[in-house]
Amino acid sequence: MNDNRNSNDMKKDFWKSIKDYNDDPEVLEVKANEFMEGVTDDFDESKLSGISRRKFIALLSASTAFAATACTDYRDKGEIVPYNKRPEEILTGKANYYASTCTGCSQSCGILVKTREGRPIKIDGNPDHPINNGKTCAKGQASILNLYDPERLKYPMIQGRRSDWKNVDQEIISQLNDSKKLNKEISIVTGTLVSPAMKKLFDDFTSQYPNTKVYQIGLVSDQIRREAWLESYGSYDYPAIKFEEATIILSLDSDFLGNEGSFIENMQKYTKKREVIDKVSFNRLYVAEGRMSVTGAMADYRISISPDLQYQFVLMLMGELIKSGSAINLSNDILSKINSVSGDLKIDKTKVAHLLKDLNSNRGKSIIYAGDTLSNDVHVAVNLLNEILGNTTLYDYSSSFKSLMHYAKAEELSQLVDSMNNDKVGVVIHLDSNPVFTLPADFGYESALKKVTATISLTEAVNETSTLCKYALPINNQLESWGDANYRSSVYSLQQPVIAPIFDTRQKEAVMLTWISGEPSTYKDDVYHKYLMSYFNNSAYSKRNRLSDEKSFWYSALHDGVISYEEEIQRSSFRLNSFINTKQDFQSNGYTVHLTESYFVGDGRFANNGWLHEVPHPINKITWDNYASISPALAKELNVEMNDLIEISSEGKTLTLPVLVQPGMADKTINIELGYGRTVVGDVGNNVGFNAIGLMTKNYSSSPFVNNNVSISKVNGKHKLVSTQEHHSLDDTFVKDFHRIRKIIQEGTVEEYNNDPHFLHHEKHEVFGITREHKYTGVKWAMSIDLNKCTSCTACITSCNVENNIPVVGKDQVERGREMHWMRLDRYYSGTPEDPIISNQPMLCQHCDNAPCENVCPVNATNHSPDGLNQMAYNRCVGTRYCSNNCPYKVRRYNFFDFRDHFEDEYYQNNLTALINNPEVTVRSRGVMEKCTFCVQRIMEARSDAIAEGRELKGADVVTACQQACPTNAIVFGDANDPESRISKLRKHNLAYHVLEELNIKPNVTYIAKLRNTHPEEN
Amino acid sequence: MKKTVLDYALKIRLPLTLFVIATTFVLTYYISRPERDGIGYAPEQPIKFSHKLHAGAMAIDCQYCHTDVAKGRHATIPSVNVCMNCHSVARKDKPEIIKLTQYYEEGKPILWKRIHKVPDYAYFNHSVHVNKGIDCASCHGDLKEMEVVSQVRQFTMNACLDCHREPHKNLPYLEKVNIGPENCAACHR
Repeated sequence: MNDNRNSNDMKKDFWKSIKDYNDDPEVLEVKANEFMEGVTDDFDESKLSGISRRKFIALLSASTAFAATACTDYRDKGEIVPYNKRPEEILTGKANYYASTCTGCSQSCGILVKTREGRPIKIDGNPDHPINNGKTCAKGQASILNLYDPERLKYPMIQGRRSDWKNVDQEIISQLNDSKKLNKEISIVTGTLVSPAMKKLFDDFTSQYPNTKVYQIGLVSDQIRREAWLESYGSYDYPAIKFEEATIILSLDSDFLGNEGSFIENMQKYTKKREVIDKVSFNRLYVAEGRMSVTGAMADYRISISPDLQYQFVLMLMGELIKSGSAINLSNDILSKINSVSGDLKIDKTKVAHLLKDLNSNRGKSIIYAGDTLSNDVHVAVNLLNEILGNTTLYDYSSSFKSLMHYAKAEELSQLVDSMNNDKVGVVIHLDSNPVFTLPADFGYESALKKVTATISLTEAVNETSTLCKYALPINNQLESWGDANYRSSVYSLQQPVIAPIFDTRQKEAVMLTWISGEPSTYKDDVYHKYLMSYFNNSAYSKRNRLSDEKSFWYSALHDGVISYEEEIQRSSFRLNSFINTKQDFQSNGYTVHLTESYFVGDGRFANNGWLHEVPHPINKITWDNYASISPALAKELNVEMNDLIEISSEGKTLTLPVLVQPGMADKTINIELGYGRTVVGDVGNNVGFNAIGLMTKNYSSSPFVNNNVSISKVNGKHKLVSTQEHHSLDDTFVKDFHRIRKIIQEGTVEEYNNDPHFLHHEKHEVFGITREHKYTGVKWAMSIDLNKCTSCTACITSCNVENNIPVVGKDQVERGREMHWMRLDRYYSGTPEDPIISNQPMLCQHCDNAPCENVCPVNATNHSPDGLNQMAYNRCVGTRYCSNNCPYKVRRYNFFDFRDHFEDEYYQNNLTALINNPEVTVRSRGVMEKCTFCVQRIMEARSDAIAEGRELKGADVVTACQQACPTNAIVFGDANDPESRISKLRKHNLAYHVLEELNIKPNVTYIAKLRNTHPEEN
Repeated sequence: MKKTVLDYALKIRLPLTLFVIATTFVLTYYISRPERDGIGYAPEQPIKFSHKLHAGAMAIDCQYCHTDVAKGRHATIPSVNVCMNCHSVARKDKPEIIKLTQYYEEGKPILWKRIHKVPDYAYFNHSVHVNKGIDCASCHGDLKEMEVVSQVRQFTMNACLDCHREPHKNLPYLEKVNIGPENCAACHR
């Protein structure tokens, strides 16, 4: 053998590279010369410092020693600085709460802002608000970071240079007057208008400057739904849907449980028919969609269908359903129109049969709901279908979606651009809107804007539009602003500032008022406050016949944040003509690109919010990116896999972006989320993701969000998508269905449960313990999570982030699995890649009674408390990470860095952002382990309150951050030892189970198994 | 010869050196203990406020000024307007009161030197202790006798636990008192 080795044609056992293996001369040379040529060439002794190393060290140590002895007053403990005159309502160390209104999107949810010593630290829903009932979405939770964003615009700027308000106001007022004289248009481009006081202000502005025109724009809005409603019923306002009363719900590409419309409200209504505690009376959710949405993941039956086939699908349903009658009279024209549609939709026939049967037998109790991104024609057809089935009983006219003005149509915006190009526009004012980013490029808005002399952007932070504007004026954050909202009928809510403006910013309405007055010196900090108050007294006060006087009514409304009154929009009958006019001009012959709103960055406005970028996508768990979601079949056809780049081109526009293979996608549909790819937003959000607005056009045929005139090709290169959960579990035969085999996910059907409520627990193993069982005498904390109600909306994760000072780590760190979220939402697929079943499971520290992490800690930094908490003492932790290794749930998080210091060159490490920290929770430093504490700070606060009031602490006194945020109340927390508590009843529920129960570690988070409401014959 | 040197080094020199090092360490450790724990720390304050006069001679209740001690985590040093409740009338001519009035009128806060401190990662809650009937003096000493406030007890974890474990011994005046919690999350979170 040895001889063999020496021979020339010997093959090496070990080799470093192909070249090494082949005895490449280059490699041999490198091996011969230990130091490559040129390595020491730059070394020039004469350029070195004269101080020797020894001398340097001596000086260094001497100076350190002197400094240490001379300069420290080690006894000094700093100062305590009390107020000079303490505001009466502030009690140091106790939080104050103020009711306000969220302006993150048009839904105007009522919020309750928690402030400590005058600084806002958390946003939660206002429990008194009738729409969102004390809940907020992830965006609302994380929006508090925008207040403390170090890159906020801090002072007014003229052409990029710092200026002051007086100067700016003076110049703008003279520009406005010039336009008035020259009869040029003054254009105001605003986002969705929800504030009636602001509407009045626009009217005042218009009467001062009569040539003013206001354009309302939104990237993904309910514009199409409203326009279709206008055609069908003659009203721009449409009613809310009583999802809580619907027994059959068919969603057509609508993410009404995910991010569309009033989804927080919808989730609450929907889960009213997903209660398992007492009686099981479920609704049945059908979702027909091309992408995989949160709503689709919740569906009992999910039908994959391309968005451009939805019109045909609706007509097909209609054709089948009118065979057994219709609630309204249909003329022959209509009937022939309905029957004119034919052709094979290539969708699952059994599911459609179920759907038809259900819709037929639940007339008047079912609802068909189309998505915001579908075409006008689909919406009109859906309106007719609901009429045919008599489902209009589920329209809630007393809770309608109101409109203060119409959205600008594409023609109006084109006209605006033309006017700008032809010097007919004197002043353009962008009110918290970013049309350069949100309008499709073929409007030519960007180039037209350059032709207008006075361009103004009122914005919180720089954006694509403000950098092109002459005047970039900083406005107050929502937590520094006054305002009101009347987006829903019967509900009028108020917004109040909870902190004085941090920078030299002004309320946007106050700025407008100054311009109306024509005199910069009229500005005062409370000018809009007074304007709002007088508006309130004149309009809102009269809406409710009150016994109190105006002032006390104002203060009580401000305290509650919301007033309710009787209001109903007009109903009218369906205009059949609107349906006759619909057309089926969509013909799917190739690929279809479906653009939808992002779950996190909205229309791009939250693009500089690190918390939101880092929350994993509800379905595919990707962070910090958007991508083209395609079906496994299309991936095979294009020969691409995850991270490969594809080029999508449509009418000369191209977009190159990475691919994500998403099980359940319709075969030829490509789904891309909008709002990403912003270029001017800040260090956090610049160039995160890809801007798919580039694929939109103003001359769309049916819907701007559905483009089937595209071609796709694979291009070279890769873009790494980072997700917090692996993607191959469906293909890998080893891990496939692991979650079911190991009983991590336990599910059943309603039928199974009704026949045998005990069905989950038949195969119970007996588990033995080798240790003595610990008796918990007092309170014992426990949590339960109802998987029937969890939609994986991620509000819990974001709420936890804010409450517990969780840092942003960045994409590169998430890639290494170092995300710091204490809570995660696991997603498991079962079934086939073409038709997957999705199971969600929130996973957090289970606070096991026999916690495996505790007995491996060498320094006893993690141990158990007498009330059942798995405690983590950071200052004791030395960072061995044994606990994390031994945790079967993998819920412990290790600080590989001081992440505030590490992320984006200390982006969030500054005096401003530090104000966001919850002072009741330690800010963890590098090298320590952390995990969910069951919000121990809230437990301790409840405990001290109980002691102060001289009573026993009850489980119901404590609400954890995730529980508080959960829109569907899926999370319940409390005292397991109190037999009357909800949690102890849930722990004994027939559907209750623990994950990895057989390990006998006795976790204290109970999961309530999900029931699917499928048809009995399928079981 | 060689052997004797080695013997000397091993038998006398080495133990002697070790003994001196150990004694020095032990002595320094124990003698400096109170110093290190801050006992006796009595810094000069921006206003020479006398607890002996206010709490002692005039017998004003602690909670008259430290209003929040039973309500929240912090005992809170009174804001200037609390002082001015009396001193807008009382002893207006004294130099320290003139100083105080100046603070009040200029709207400036007074930067009091901090005397008692637990680390940032320990969350001590005054209200819990005070509402259980524990006297301020049990931790802060007899302020009625202090012209200048100084620290009299240790504020170490050991001192906390000592009382939590044996409250009857440390707080003999309390008839009904439970053992304090000893788990980590009681203070650390």
